[in-house]
Amino acid sequence: MTADRDLHPLEKTLLAYLEEHGASTDREIIENSELPEEGSYRRAVEWLLSRGLVIEVSREEQESVQLGPLGISSLKVGVTPELAILRRLAHGAGTLQEIQEDATFDRGRWGSGFGALLRSGLVRKDGDLVHLEADAEDNPYGKLWDQVYRVLEDGGEIDLGSLSDEIAAIVRERSPKRGRDRAEFVVVTLITRTVAVTDEGLEALKRARETVTIGAITPGVLADGEWRNAAFRRYSLDMPPSQIHTGRLHPYRQFLDTVRKRFVALGFTEMRGSLAESEFWNNDALFMPQFHPARDIHDVYYLEEGCSVPPPPSHLEESVAAAHENGGDTGGRGWGYSFSLRQSLQAIMRSQGTALSARTLASDPEIPGKYFGIARCFRYDQVDSTHLPDFFQVEGIVLGEGINLRHLMGLLAMFASEIAGASDYKFLPGYFPFTEPSVEMHIHHPVLGWVEGGGAGLFRPEVRLPLGIDVPVIAWGLGLDRMAMLAMGLDDIRDLVTPDLSRLRTMRVRPDSLLKGGGE
Amino acid sequence: MPKIDVSRRDLFRLARIEDPGDGGLADLLSLVKGEIDSSEGDSLKLELNDTNRPDLWCVEGVARALRCHAHGPEYHLSDLPVSDLEILVDRNLRNVRPFVAAFTACGWAPDEEELEALIEVQEKLAASYGRNRKTAGAGFYRLGEIRFPVSYMAASPDLSFVPLGEDGEMTLAQVLRDTETGRTYAHILSGAEVYPVLRDDSGSILSFPPILNSQTTGRVRPGDSELFCEVTGTDWETVQLTATILACNLQDRGAAISPVRVIYPDEHPGRTVSCPVVFADTLTTTMEEVRRILGLEIAPSSAVEALRGMDYASATARGTSITGMLPPYRRDGIHAVDMIEDIAVSMGLGSFGPLLPDRFTQGRSAPIEELADSVRLLLVGAGFEEVLRPVLSSFEKVSIQTGTPAPPVAIANPMTREYGVVRNSLLPGLLEVESASAHSAYPHRIFESGEVLVRDPGGVCSTDVMLACLICCNDADFGDVHSILGSLCHSRGISLRLEPEDDGRFVPGRCAAVIIDGRSSGIVGEVHPEILCNWGITRPASAMEVRLPCLKG
Repeated sequence: MTADRDLHPLEKTLLAYLEEHGASTDREIIENSELPEEGSYRRAVEWLLSRGLVIEVSREEQESVQLGPLGISSLKVGVTPELAILRRLAHGAGTLQEIQEDATFDRGRWGSGFGALLRSGLVRKDGDLVHLEADAEDNPYGKLWDQVYRVLEDGGEIDLGSLSDEIAAIVRERSPKRGRDRAEFVVVTLITRTVAVTDEGLEALKRARETVTIGAITPGVLADGEWRNAAFRRYSLDMPPSQIHTGRLHPYRQFLDTVRKRFVALGFTEMRGSLAESEFWNNDALFMPQFHPARDIHDVYYLEEGCSVPPPPSHLEESVAAAHENGGDTGGRGWGYSFSLRQSLQAIMRSQGTALSARTLASDPEIPGKYFGIARCFRYDQVDSTHLPDFFQVEGIVLGEGINLRHLMGLLAMFASEIAGASDYKFLPGYFPFTEPSVEMHIHHPVLGWVEGGGAGLFRPEVRLPLGIDVPVIAWGLGLDRMAMLAMGLDDIRDLVTPDLSRLRTMRVRPDSLLKGGGE
Repeated sequence: MPKIDVSRRDLFRLARIEDPGDGGLADLLSLVKGEIDSSEGDSLKLELNDTNRPDLWCVEGVARALRCHAHGPEYHLSDLPVSDLEILVDRNLRNVRPFVAAFTACGWAPDEEELEALIEVQEKLAASYGRNRKTAGAGFYRLGEIRFPVSYMAASPDLSFVPLGEDGEMTLAQVLRDTETGRTYAHILSGAEVYPVLRDDSGSILSFPPILNSQTTGRVRPGDSELFCEVTGTDWETVQLTATILACNLQDRGAAISPVRVIYPDEHPGRTVSCPVVFADTLTTTMEEVRRILGLEIAPSSAVEALRGMDYASATARGTSITGMLPPYRRDGIHAVDMIEDIAVSMGLGSFGPLLPDRFTQGRSAPIEELADSVRLLLVGAGFEEVLRPVLSSFEKVSIQTGTPAPPVAIANPMTREYGVVRNSLLPGLLEVESASAHSAYPHRIFESGEVLVRDPGGVCSTDVMLACLICCNDADFGDVHSILGSLCHSRGISLRLEPEDDGRFVPGRCAAVIIDGRSSGIVGEVHPEILCNWGITRPASAMEVRLPCLKG
């Protein structure tokens, strides 16, 4: 409790108000005092509280219920998934699958609504069949609709404490503190405080009224020289600074920028590609047979009927098809099947960054040359804490006469130290359909132990010869999402693309150490 | 990547080497491109990375690789006896499930655990390599109860037999409809008018492949030491290789393998095929090529020794050339480089010291990235926060909630509606950020630069790099976002002109097309309250989106 700095004008105004009106609530002061706006009051009262010139007499907390994004979408369609399921089952038993075919909600929301009903015993599952075990309207989810949704729709306010325990529990469970973009409700805590001036406060006010001090140094103060005869008001220097949100780059983009700069520094030229590719560039040119399991409908995204991407030059179609069918001029025997040009032209979302390397090989690259590309790729995966529908890979090639397996390992070793900042690494024979020999690198993480650190290989002759390259080519690739999560200290990959600005504002990346990072 | 569960004791007993502990085992697994997934007591879970080596997806295969590396090659199936057992193939299976391979294995009597392991390996091969039994599925039988020749014949769906695990007779159609296994694999035979059946010379049904064996002959018991194995499927090579791998596994366990002759109707490849087939793929290269790829001078005798350690059926060096014949259970050698890699794997990668490429190359960023960097830094200087959003979005977000005029390209096989289209604009992503950030301190000044997919009227798709900014706060208006656009253009030396535009996403009269160099390059305006409502955004917002290359100046 110190009083060794002078009162700020805002503090003076607040103390004077409390001197005149006695103990008052925040709301009364904001509405009736001469303080210019709410922020000024908040600042002044915190300063005074911290110096003991004002004390808090009492404090009341109220939790107000608002709708989150999921709640808003339910309100828009006029029903929650739970209530819709109950109403539907009132007409007879059904299966979850039938319910999920209804497009009112997506599968995930139907599923979680169904789970909630099952847990609460409102429905019963008998094999695939689901039976209603309660009244379709007179149940907690019916009440939730009437007492929360309807009230908020009419612009009402809801105090969480005023709801029955049952309804309040549902609301609380569905208002997560994190991940508000997937919340049904948002609970906001409103605090009402009553404050009063202390004896020290009155004393300080009295002293302040007796002395002439200068607050802000204005052009006027400088011009008339008034400052020569007055004291400067002393500022408190131990206050926390007010928070500002500076403009900033996205931490993951920053991470990617760092990766890019390091590859450029190592003499690599950047390649760019397209989000949508033909199967030709994504797979065929990489000598992945058209029956390869990774080319399954369950592994890649196909573009809708009527969409296409430009076809490859016909001489490449021919040489690549020959490599697949019988080896062509590559010295191998090929995969021994009949190559489909039609499948080759199918447009898909790029599933591997190596497509960029295939295009580069086919467009007269520099020899010797080193190329890299950071590519967004797409894989058919259920989204969860370790999978996103699109992810970043960095891929590239090194080509030139005299390139061999030993350079491939030298290159990986350089990536381990220069790109990932790892001090220890080891090589294992790997398998990739388009390279032979293939090597995988594992790098040592200080906390996690050995983690995968990328792979490389010499492109098979069946890849490079049909594209017109007769010197050895090293192809390499690293997945970046996982490395970025390590560097940023994240455990949920979805945070990399979060729409929540508050979350984003707390994420940090220290680009000086990509692997170890300096996360929160 | 295939993962297999093995017993540690079984693995090292079969491999005939001392258990070197997990560290030593991890090193040995380099030979099979494998890793230890988990290790607890006797249970090991191994991950095998080579998707072209189905022979390795079982304990016998991994043990074989370790054993041969330690003790030398074994020449599997090298002297099979002559046999007069035959399977006759019905012409009418041509369009249903045309291929079959078979052999007998005698003299090894599996106990209960070993029998279970045998069945498991067969299931695993059929599930992963045989594409869930479609291209190949296998079955075991008691040899003593089968009268040869066996017919692999087309049967009517009304044919009935007692399936394994059932009490009474069922028709083939009933098996597909009323048994769990039948329902799981019925799709393999969908559309077929006749179904495949194996029947012996006495008329008893062995099985309805690849669905169910029969209760009588198709049930192998612990202690049975005379087995008949068959593999059927739609792909000739997959069927043969599956049978060959199973035969090698049984041989490793101590069984004597005898072949079975399969007689095809004349149009099939090789009218008579003696199974298991010994493929004997041969690869030849020069020592110069080995040196060129591996970067090391290797003596021909060392290369031969390395290939013997990989169980090559033969390996010989003559002058400057080297020839290797793969063991019968492998068909993954389709180019000399495959053999050269085997030399490297056998010698161990540690034998090849890393080198750096010694030729100078000049590094360069892509021009579009250089441009993006400069624009992103200008925006950060102006107080904007950068966001990063997924490229896949939903039709609801792009077209319904945001009202983007051009329809986005849809995914033909989306996993969920939520990621059913490819974004064609960055604005829906920015509006979603607003919608999720009402509790974050204002003002919000956000931007993203990133790729979108657009299509021309002919349906040809291409990738554009866009830049979009959005300002949301109590007094956000057209002027704010206009001045940002203005200062971006000014700093890049571009003259900016606006032309009034009607666009449902923006307030009429407060929306303009961005004209740079006389070309329409983007859009700027105050976001329409209708759109804000759709997203649950409660404060005004203004936004702009331009094609990034237009800011090159």
